Amino acid sequence: MAKKKMTRRDFFKAGLLTGAGACLGAGVLKPTGLWAAPAKVKGPVKIGYQAIMSGTLAGYGEFHKMGVDMAVDEINKKGGIAGAKVVVEYRDSTLKAPEAIKNARYFVDSWGADFLGGVDSSGQALALAPVMKQLGKPIIITHAATEKLNEIEVFQKGIKEVFRISSPTYQDGNAAAFVAKDLPAMKWATISPKYEYGYTCWSMFKNTLAKLKPGVQFVAESWAPFGTTDFRAHINTILDAKPDGLYSVEWAGELISMMKQAGQAGLFNKIKHVMLPVGAAMDVLEGLGKEMPDNIWISGRYFFQYPKDKRNTAWVASFVKRWKHYPAYVSETGYSSIYAFKQAVEAAGSKDAKKVIAALEGMKMQSPAGERVFRKQDHQAVYTVPWGLTAADPKYPFKVMGKMVVIPAQDFFNRPPFKGPESMPPFKK
Amino acid sequence: MLESFVHVCLAGLSKGMFIWLVASGLTLIFGVLGVLNFAHGSFYMLGAYFCFSLLSHLGHNFWLGLILGPLFVCLVGYVVERYFLRYVYHIDLPYQLLLTFAFVLIFDDLVKVVWGAGSIGSPSVAGLSGSVRILGRLFPSYSLFIILVGPLVALGLWGLLEKTWAGRIIRAASSDREMASALGVRVPALFTAVFVFGTWLGAVGGGLAVPYVGLLTPGMGESIIIDAFVVAVIGGLGSLKGAFLGALIIGLLSSFGTRFLPTFDMFLTFILMAIVLLWRPQGFFGEEAAR
Amino acid sequence: MSRAGVYLIYGLAALALVAIGLFAGRFVLYLTMRVMLLAIFALGYNLLLGRTGLLSFGHGALYAAGAYGLGLFNLHVSHDPLLGLLVGVAFAALIALIIGFFCVRQTEIYFAMLTLAFGMMFFSLIWNLREVTGGDDGLIGISRAPLLGLPIGRDYQFYFLVLACFALAVWVIHRIRGSAFGLVLAGIRENHQRTSFAGIPVKNYRLAAFVVSGAFAGLAGSLATLLESNANPFSAHWSHSAEPVLVSLMGGLQTFSGPLVGSVIFVVLREVIERFTENWMLWFGVILLAIIMGLRGGVMGGLEKRLGRARAARPGGAS
Repeated sequence: MAKKKMTRRDFFKAGLLTGAGACLGAGVLKPTGLWAAPAKVKGPVKIGYQAIMSGTLAGYGEFHKMGVDMAVDEINKKGGIAGAKVVVEYRDSTLKAPEAIKNARYFVDSWGADFLGGVDSSGQALALAPVMKQLGKPIIITHAATEKLNEIEVFQKGIKEVFRISSPTYQDGNAAAFVAKDLPAMKWATISPKYEYGYTCWSMFKNTLAKLKPGVQFVAESWAPFGTTDFRAHINTILDAKPDGLYSVEWAGELISMMKQAGQAGLFNKIKHVMLPVGAAMDVLEGLGKEMPDNIWISGRYFFQYPKDKRNTAWVASFVKRWKHYPAYVSETGYSSIYAFKQAVEAAGSKDAKKVIAALEGMKMQSPAGERVFRKQDHQAVYTVPWGLTAADPKYPFKVMGKMVVIPAQDFFNRPPFKGPESMPPFKK
Repeated sequence: MLESFVHVCLAGLSKGMFIWLVASGLTLIFGVLGVLNFAHGSFYMLGAYFCFSLLSHLGHNFWLGLILGPLFVCLVGYVVERYFLRYVYHIDLPYQLLLTFAFVLIFDDLVKVVWGAGSIGSPSVAGLSGSVRILGRLFPSYSLFIILVGPLVALGLWGLLEKTWAGRIIRAASSDREMASALGVRVPALFTAVFVFGTWLGAVGGGLAVPYVGLLTPGMGESIIIDAFVVAVIGGLGSLKGAFLGALIIGLLSSFGTRFLPTFDMFLTFILMAIVLLWRPQGFFGEEAAR
Repeated sequence: MSRAGVYLIYGLAALALVAIGLFAGRFVLYLTMRVMLLAIFALGYNLLLGRTGLLSFGHGALYAAGAYGLGLFNLHVSHDPLLGLLVGVAFAALIALIIGFFCVRQTEIYFAMLTLAFGMMFFSLIWNLREVTGGDDGLIGISRAPLLGLPIGRDYQFYFLVLACFALAVWVIHRIRGSAFGLVLAGIRENHQRTSFAGIPVKNYRLAAFVVSGAFAGLAGSLATLLESNANPFSAHWSHSAEPVLVSLMGGLQTFSGPLVGSVIFVVLREVIERFTENWMLWFGVILLAIIMGLRGGVMGGLEKRLGRARAARPGGAS
């Protein structure tokens, strides 16, 4: 839809130019009407946003767009960013690095984007970092979770253009360990994706949990390649090891398949403690519906029931009203990324990249997910997302969080300089 | 240990039989038409989506959906063969592949437009949603059902090809197209019929996948089509008997690989495929002179 | 079209490419580089498909071999881009030799499936040897150091390296097609039995064609790694192997210029479609369908047929 608007706008622009030429004589003499309206920032603020919109994960692209469209409409209705209209164009990222780079270059060099947003895959985010430095425009990553992005690309290599508003793997690995330390389970196993994200989260979970709870054992790991639909062999591997706890960073459709098949195999009768760091994604909860068992630990990058404050409640209500859907976590991160740019541009008084980057560094913002602070050193937004136990609630056609555990982000986010044990939790007070 | 071994076997069998259901149509089409149909994965996907749609409109009767859903896909298959594929039989093999590949792109996006981009969690089947206890561990009834359906489909196909008049014509046309034509078989019509039948098999595989995978996504055909390719190749392209055996081997290999050699899973499958192609490209049951 | 006419067209194209390098904006520059890289990939590939009649689904692995060869060399040994390119191409040729050694024993669909299997094995290796390849994150942080003292860090500088490699590739492949070697390959495509009866070791020629086309795939892959500053495992996946097939078929298999024109169409078409709709696969597929149904023989093949009357008297004369 946004595309159509664009072409129409281009058409207007052409018309405006001729019109402007004709009016110039009169206009210069007597500046009235539109000419007199003071805009602090010139021209529209253009944001190029890419997410996965094709293939098995295309649903994530939709969720991104819901959030971003909502932010754009709200902002434009209230006078735009510092008086300038916001315009967003979307592109399909296809999850492949060269495509992500092409999209970014298109946005900046051809379309004239001021800022970029989106990106789902870690590989893409890492590949984009040096390109953003070359293009000289800031990007806010809203989904890709690799900690290498903030620790290495931003902090170590000093790439200033990259920010991330969504929580990184710390939420999946470290925070899960903080929850797990209070559970009676001593023997843990995992079924996780057979790629960097899966490996990283599991090793982070193991390291942190081993520090928090000496004596804990990690008895089995079964890795599922990207695109796995049949988890029965993996489930058997786990059952053979007889763990008390299962940890899995499977996500999206694959998590739905895994949970259904694990239920059929009776896994939840044998393993009482199950932790799903991205189980609180709306596609998963809606996809599983009643088949999601009770008392499963879930989390995400945002969950609509937290925080229980006025801002979030109102946002969720208006989101549901518009889309007939509860907001997915990428809807929230996409939505907030647009507001982050708004706040930064207004603070900088300009959409100049350098000034906006300076404004974003250390910026504190209020968002549906609560207060976020972009850490100055590594450009990672620090904010808290709860962990919770699944429970049925007659108000919803899917399972939600019953008991919640809130661990402050400061306690489990790795800290600069990201070297040595002092940079990793647990931290001394 | 025994319980683990048996369950790994069962998991492998159900996976193998599931792939067989999809690969059978692919193999049949290749055997008769000589076309390697990339779009077969799309028919599988369409089968799943149509079946699911009917399911939600017909009061959640899975069996009715399974019977009616694939018929819609047959219509799609008919259009693809009659109005497109037919015109490229005589030109290079790559053009046929490319044509079917174009349909993969089109169908993947069409599904997105019609049913939405998001994944759809599908309901389980009444009566087969539970599990059976085997050696102290639960095994899904529906997976057992798949393990039973696989050989039944194989038996049905065998009966159709070996015991019926239509089967004799199909076999005649697949071994010698010109001869069959000379003997008065209307080859174009036969090709259309076989293609539509192969499409139906793929779509039924998709329908059965609805509860098996538990999930519908645009592009869901892509993961199964490579498995089906591998199975069809290992069995000897065009040989249904071979494909059945190939599916069993791939299912078990993948299941045991996941359990005992997890680092190599995908590697194992493809190295097996390469060995078979080098050693017996005509497949387990093929003869030297096979196409 | 006369020979002079063909030279004129190539001359004008070369001039246009230089002009793009000197005057075009950064995105056009980038897109043109992508076109040229794809063209190198497809031209080399078409030596195998169009010339020798072998359909490979494993060239993505050879492209990736070039990419990872240069990438690993760049990260661990030396930043020298020329040495890096040589290493990338050599590594791709080596992998092509190994894969080809097995694959050329079969032809037609069996060859295609064998290359698919070996290509996917290579993909699986890249994906799983995380310590070396970085797994699915790929190799990142590959730098563009000066080439023989000339800086190539900026896009308009690097462009001319790509252009030089592209021109070299076009020239070399053109020479190969016209050489005795190239004619034998064409003979193999037409009738491999007759060629074999003539005392020519068909398998060796097939293997040679496979290695040569693999080396060009490696060149494209290593240049792409310098361009994007990273190497990613998906480049070895079979779906990437389908790209040169697509490009060659769209442009036309049996013409030299087919893959060139196909590359331009492939990249530009995708770019244009994406400006109008997010459902780019749908429209790309529809146009692909139209090309196959309407212009069997590809765009250049179809064009030749229409322009072909005048040239019919002199077969094999043009492009």
